[in-house]
Parts: sequence; structure tokens; C-alpha cells
Amino acid sequence: MIAIEAQNLGKRYRKAGVGAPTLREALKHTFRRKPMEDFWAVRGLNFAIEPGRTIGVIGPNGSGKSSLLGLLAGTITPTEGSVRVAGRISSLLELGAGFHPDLSGRENVFLNAAILGIPQEDVRRRFDAIVDFAGLREFIDMPVKHYSSGMYVRLAFAVAVEMNPDVLLVDEVLAVGDTAFQMKCLDRIRDFKRRGKTILLVSHALETVEQFCDEVILIHKGALIQRGPPSEVIFNYLKSYMVRIGLLNVEEHGTREVEIRAVRLLDAAGHETVVFTTGQPMVIEVHYHANHRIEKPVFGFNLKTGNGIYVFGSNTQIAKIPLETIAGDGVMRLTIHPLTLMAGRFFLSLAIHSWDHSVQYHRQEDLHPFMVKDDSQHKGLLHLDTAWEHRPAL
Amino acid sequence: MQALAIAWRHRELLWNLAGRDLKGRYKDSMLGLLWTILAPLFMAGIYIFFLRLLGGRGLQIGMADIIIGVFAWQFTVQCVTSGLNAFTGNANLVKKVYLPRLLLPTSVVLSALVNFLLMLVVQLPLIAFLLWRQHEMLSVWTLALPVVIVYHTFFNLLLALTVSAANVYFRDTQHLVGLGLSAWFFVSPVMYPLSFVHDLAQRWPWLESLYQLNPLTVIITAYRTLQTGAPLVLTPAALVGWLWPLAAAVLVFYAFDRAQRNFADVL
Repeated sequence: MIAIEAQNLGKRYRKAGVGAPTLREALKHTFRRKPMEDFWAVRGLNFAIEPGRTIGVIGPNGSGKSSLLGLLAGTITPTEGSVRVAGRISSLLELGAGFHPDLSGRENVFLNAAILGIPQEDVRRRFDAIVDFAGLREFIDMPVKHYSSGMYVRLAFAVAVEMNPDVLLVDEVLAVGDTAFQMKCLDRIRDFKRRGKTILLVSHALETVEQFCDEVILIHKGALIQRGPPSEVIFNYLKSYMVRIGLLNVEEHGTREVEIRAVRLLDAAGHETVVFTTGQPMVIEVHYHANHRIEKPVFGFNLKTGNGIYVFGSNTQIAKIPLETIAGDGVMRLTIHPLTLMAGRFFLSLAIHSWDHSVQYHRQEDLHPFMVKDDSQHKGLLHLDTAWEHRPAL
Repeated sequence: MQALAIAWRHRELLWNLAGRDLKGRYKDSMLGLLWTILAPLFMAGIYIFFLRLLGGRGLQIGMADIIIGVFAWQFTVQCVTSGLNAFTGNANLVKKVYLPRLLLPTSVVLSALVNFLLMLVVQLPLIAFLLWRQHEMLSVWTLALPVVIVYHTFFNLLLALTVSAANVYFRDTQHLVGLGLSAWFFVSPVMYPLSFVHDLAQRWPWLESLYQLNPLTVIITAYRTLQTGAPLVLTPAALVGWLWPLAAAVLVFYAFDRAQRNFADVL
């Protein structure tokens, strides 16, 4: 049994065909023999997904993720190859598609449900639950054009989760609404998962993908680059793509008298990972090899955010951990505990240099990406220990 | 046939979409649904007034004929003009949700049909009254109206499918259709009875044949025949006028199916 199967799936777009079409342009193209420029949003995709799996789809912007979802949902027709979906498919692609601004919330619930293929009988029965979930009881008879955008999305989501598909497509739904609402969304998606639905989740929120998915597919330039366990694929993605598309300048240089052979990032349990949790320990192991005896080497590191803000840097000299000599293989272990970074993407740089900074033995600039997730609702870059004290006037 | 099956399977959605169309159109207007009837009645009134004014006393213009013609014409016009935006006005529904694309123009025609039936509720007593003033009665054949209405609706659906899909690919369609409709209005017996073109027909018989190939000519004439007992046109050309849309339907449905595949790319 296969829930979703793509065979040599491809979608070609005509560059010239994009934009408002007019008769004049069409005639122009017919009479001009020059071939139009094409580009393939997706090409040569082959994969099969077993039922009940939750699959994350990640990749940089414009990599073909949305085209893939469109192809699966049936809104886009493949240019070549085929895609097969077993059972009913529904998508949380666009919340509130088909809402009519002049109609009341109540009328739109039924309309939207019909568009999503939910039987009217079910909606009638579940109507109160839908309205309560959206938290819009007193506004339900108001035209939705007077709703705030948050109310709009809440109502749309409340309807959408009433769907009972075999395959669910989710595209960046989690990017809307406030934190509390996002939690609600995630809860519902977890619910789908528990009920054994096949879920395809497209998201830039890599922490969510890591947390939710059984497997992750990495797409770039319309081709499937890698498919595997979430942490592995996400790590690869962060490393090769985030960096290659120029978000940060990865650099590696030095005399290599001492060489960093491997770097392992470990969580509290000692497992290698790229996702850490605020408040928990983070351990960095630097496996090095010194070609000859090195006197008084200094090990250093720094952390930067995904957009290049320097967060923290230190080295064994500053920390007053003097090293006399090293030779051959060795491991330097750095423990950060508690990790006070808040949720986000970060880059780790590592360096080994001489005590007077005159020789860089090996420096890896921004070479090690990792993510931090945070289960609290605090905001910001760093976690600060805080205490509130209230003294009411007597 | 397949299209019918799709429409039937999604009948709930169709009603909802048609309902959205109807409710949306008259929301926040004071007279609401009454406009459905007032607008064509007013138009019929204008035609009758000016034809009398311009044509002088000698011209035999039946008020009943004009009302029937204008109401039927309105049905077609509404299907075509709202059909134009069936997809371009609902890009969200095309790109983000999968539903059989056929449903959007169909729902537009459905809501126009509801409007037309409401118009008929007013039209029939009105015609009966006008006939009664001339000591005549509504023909018993009025009972056969549903047959013509079904055919007329089907014909309108073909038009809506054609213009809705064409407008996705060429936005020029909306302008062309506007021009086409105004020409079509005059070459169809909307504000005049068929006898009006009688002289013309005598001189150029081939022109009369061409005239009767127009499905609206035969449809509107049929409406009149059934209600007032006006003579039915039974020429070979008129027969072809009835039949060719049925043959064209095969082509329209096929072309529509081909065209809809790439809607999401161009919208």
C-alpha cells in the first residue's frame, strides 16, 4: 500500500506565459518561431510514501515545494510523469479560500466546508464545535469583511480541520496567527497524525519539521536531493544550502598544522543532533589532529545568528584554561549549560590558533549550523532568568 | 455525460457556490432580490416606450413579446457576463483548492437560472394579464416551458464554459464579449418579434436562414410560441439552429477539459 506515489513527475512553466495574458501576445508568439524560454519548477521526481507517515518537505525559496504540493493536490497538471494519491486528499494550503466577504461567518462556514468537500450534514452537526474552536461565537453572524485578519484565519482553520482526508497537505499554515493559535494548529495536526493520516508538511520552520516528521525530503531546483531522517536531512540542508545561497560566508582556512577532523554536536543524552533546547546542555566535541607538537594552542569558538549577529565568543585563553602542548589525535570538549539561546537558527565557528594569534592553524567560520527550539512562549534572542515581584500600594 | 455526473456528485457544493453568488449580489442593497425582477422589467419598459415613440402608431409591437424576449435575453447575458469572471474572479479557488473546474461556471449558470425562474414567476401572470386585455388567454403550451428552459440553460452553460476559459488565457475576451453581446442583441429577436424581419427575409432568403441559425432566435421564439401562441418557425435552418449547439457541446466540453489543466499556471 502506497499513499502517495510520484513517477518521473515534472512541471514546466513558460517564462513568457507568466503574467496577464493577452490575445496580442499569443498571436505574437504564434507568428514568431522563436522558441519560448522554459523552466522546470519540478522535474524527475520519484518517490513513494507509505500511509500514516508524516513527511516534511524542505528546501530554499523557489525550489519547487509549492509546485509539488499543487501537483499532489491536483490544482496543477503535470507536464510529464504522473502522481497518484490513494484516498481522499485535502490541503491546508490556503485558509479561507472561497470566503465571500459580504457573507456572514455562519454562511461562510458552510460555503467553505462545501469547497473543502465536507458534507453539509457533518457541518450542521459540528457547527457549534467549529465556532467554539474559532472562538467567534458572538461574531458568527457578522459579515466576514468586518473580521480582523486573525479572526478570519481562525474561522477558516476551524472549518478546515473538520476535514477527514486520508492524505493531508500542509503548507506554511503555521506561519499565521499568534503563538497560541499556532499551538492549536499543531495540536490539530498532531491529532491527524494520531489518527493515522498521511501528512505532507511544507515549512520553513525547521524546528517544527524536525519535531513532527518521520522523514524529511529535501528539494532543490525541482529535484529531490535527499530523503531521510529529519535531523540528518535538516543538518545537510542548513549546511549546504543556507550557506551556499549566501546567507553567511563559510570559510575554512589555516595552516592545518592542527586540523579539525570532525565536529560533533551532542545533546544532554549524548546523541548527535542539530536541534537543541533552550535551558538544556549543548556539547561540542572537536576532534583534532596535530601534525607535530604544538606549544600553547588556543581553542576558540563563536556563535552567530542565522542573519549574522555575533552572539557570543570565547576561547581557552580568555577562559583561562591554558594548554601546554598537543600532539597527534585528541578531543576538545566544550559544554554550554544551560543553553540560553532562544528559538532560532545559529552558526558555530571553531578555531585553533597559536597563543599570540600569529598563526591560524585551522579556522572554520560558520561551518556548523544548528537550531534551537524553545517550548516556552518567551520571545527574543537570549533567555534571561527573570523574577517578577509585585508590591501593591496599601 | 461525465460533466453531468461530476455536477451531480458535487451538487451540495454547486448550491453553495450558487447561493454565494446570489446572496453576495444583493447583500446590503435595500431592495435585494427584487432587483432581479425590477431591472429587466424596467428595460422592457424602456424598449416598449421608445419603439412606440419611434415606430409610430402603425407599428404592431406586442408588449408580451418584448417582455418575454428581454427576460430570456437577460438570462443569457447574465450567464455570459458572470461566466467571464468565473475563474478570473476566483483565482484562489483555482490555485489553492482542488475542485472540478467545471463547477465554477456551472454554479454561475445555476444562480442565473434561479434568477430567471424568479423572473418567470413575475412574467407569467404579467403575460396572462396582457393577453387577457386582448381577450386572449395564456396558451396551454405554457406547461411545456420547462423543456425550453432546460435547453436554454444548457446552451447558456456552453457559453459560460467557453468565455470563462477563454478569459483565463486572453483577458481580451471580456472586451470582445462586450462587443459581441451588443451585436447579438440586435440580431436576435429580443425587442422585436420575428415578424419584424419579415420584409428582410423576403428579399434575402439566405439571410433569413442565417438569422435562424442563431440559437437565441429559436429559443426566444419558442418562449413566445408557448405562451402567446405566436407562430413557430419550422424551417430547416431553424432546426439546425436547435441542433448545432448540441453537437458543439462535445467540442466545448472537450476543449474546456483541455484548457482547464493549465488554469493554475496562468491565473
